[in-house]
Amino acid sequence: MLTASYLPALPELSTGEVGTLFISPAFLKTGDIIGITAPAGYITSAEIQSAVQKMESWGYKLKIGETIDKRDFTFGGTDEERAKDFQQMLDDPKVKAIMCARGGYGVVRIIDKLNWDKFKAKSKWIIGFSDVTVIHSHLNKNFGIASIHSKMCNSFPDDWSLAEPIQIETIESIQLALSGEKMKYSATPNPQNKPGTADGVLIGGNLKMLETLAGTRSDINTAGKILFVEDTGEYMYSIDRMFWNLKRTGKLSRLKGLIIGGFKIKVDEDSDDFGRTLQDVVLEKIKAWHYPVCFDFPVGHQKNNYALKCGVKHRLSISPENVTLKEI
Amino acid sequence: MIKIPPYLQKGDTIGLVCPAGLMPVEKVSECIRVLNEDWGLTTKVGTTIGQQYHYFSGTDEERLEDFQHMLDDENVKAILCARGGYGLSRIIDKIDFTNFKKNPKWIIGFSDVTILHSHIYRNYSISTLHAPMANAFNEDGFKNEFVQSLRHALEGKKNKYHCKPHEFNKKGEGIGELVGGNLSLLAHLVGTDSDLKVKGRILFIEDVGEYLYNIDRMMYQLKRSGKLDKLAGLIVGGFTDMKDTERPFGQTVHEIIRDAVAEYAYPVCFDFPVSHEKENYALKIGVGYKLKVGKNKVTLEE
Repeated sequence: MLTASYLPALPELSTGEVGTLFISPAFLKTGDIIGITAPAGYITSAEIQSAVQKMESWGYKLKIGETIDKRDFTFGGTDEERAKDFQQMLDDPKVKAIMCARGGYGVVRIIDKLNWDKFKAKSKWIIGFSDVTVIHSHLNKNFGIASIHSKMCNSFPDDWSLAEPIQIETIESIQLALSGEKMKYSATPNPQNKPGTADGVLIGGNLKMLETLAGTRSDINTAGKILFVEDTGEYMYSIDRMFWNLKRTGKLSRLKGLIIGGFKIKVDEDSDDFGRTLQDVVLEKIKAWHYPVCFDFPVGHQKNNYALKCGVKHRLSISPENVTLKEI
Repeated sequence: MIKIPPYLQKGDTIGLVCPAGLMPVEKVSECIRVLNEDWGLTTKVGTTIGQQYHYFSGTDEERLEDFQHMLDDENVKAILCARGGYGLSRIIDKIDFTNFKKNPKWIIGFSDVTILHSHIYRNYSISTLHAPMANAFNEDGFKNEFVQSLRHALEGKKNKYHCKPHEFNKKGEGIGELVGGNLSLLAHLVGTDSDLKVKGRILFIEDVGEYLYNIDRMMYQLKRSGKLDKLAGLIVGGFTDMKDTERPFGQTVHEIIRDAVAEYAYPVCFDFPVSHEKENYALKIGVGYKLKVGKNKVTLEE
């Protein structure tokens, strides 16, 4: 039997924050089963084939959920169908990890319908990003169980011979994370980074999702942690407003470190000029604090989107020459 | 207990400011003319009217200073925000309400100004006016009943509004203080010091130009943050220029909102004239209203 490994309490969380104990689900071994389900947008079995083959090549078996090939308008089935499929993946003791097939929109519609009892008793890796941020944040807030923020089935290329090295490397990083490899990442230094070193539990995800979880029972708890955020297709004013939300809901004041991933910014149709860069927007919110901050980290709606372990302790080191994040 | 700022008398001064987006002078001139000539008010035009700093009507400091000046000037009896846009989130925590608390005055606007409404109601229990702004006066708009409703509200006349029934309306009667505004901003404020107080109140919401999935997500946020279960009533205003994704959402905005509150017993009305369009009645935030949703008639009265 596999047992969950417990990370020690983090003594530097002296600010009296909860969640000092994070549970890491058991890592996967050859022959273990990964379940694939669509808790948000719809996807066809043809579209997940590349991911299925790749994960089989890693030595895992796949269990394809009933929501694959299901469609209810934009969703991978009705709320009831998506919740039921996700629930059986949570409850099936043979399934050691759950890969969300794609994002889109829809997890928030089913999150309160899920029963986490079996998952809490015997946790497993839940994998995905974007809309799946709802799950990462929910696990962070309620159970302190680690999960994997990474590419999903729809990011696996159909033709690997045409894939760029970064695509292959980032997809392979999912397997490294699942198999228990200690993760290590580097980013190109940005002149506006704020140097420093920080140890803390890594948490985060899609900024828009984090904003719309504010005040709910899935609201992320950032105190004493290293927060990463990314987003796509938002106007600069909206990104600014979301960072104000993070600040005004107290999520930026007690961080250990801040990681800014990819932001694909939408240009205003009437070419309004916001007058501030992403760096300006971020740095003005946090100028009262001295924790390290880096930009251009390889996480987001982009090719260089590495698997990150949410709820696992990392060290962020930022100097003018180097940016590294490593699991400790 | 809610504090009602003094209503306006002939000759009183109303200040005009742009706390968020920029507004060219020529788009405010008709509003100023009507306030002066028809409504008998004196206008004080803030420095942010006609000013531009990129997207905004001035730097944060300039917008803050102009608004603060109007708040603190004892001669100014009301402040009309000339337009919304985006920008109040950037200055709300820097505004000093000390003088305003002692001598409340009407603050008027909608859209981005929802932040002021929610913030002032939550923290100071002072009534504000969710109402048309300067652009609504243009092209003879000042003659319509919606801009006129602002005049009546400022003069102290009690509001009584009617709207057409809608097939999704839920019948009933609700009494409570009125709160609300732009849905995107209400969602954005959840968990902050400006967060909306809704328990036992009548909530109104409106929005413009949002994706349907995003409206759904915001309704889920309101619901999951406990903003929808204890209302005295819900008023759904205009949800105009809604956008859909390439993969259609599959529900209309009315269906999304209907479903979000299906489990609650309070009255709900749809298509109430509060919106980013011409149909936008002046509503007094924090004031007690009675909402009656009947089969053939919907009324909202003070």
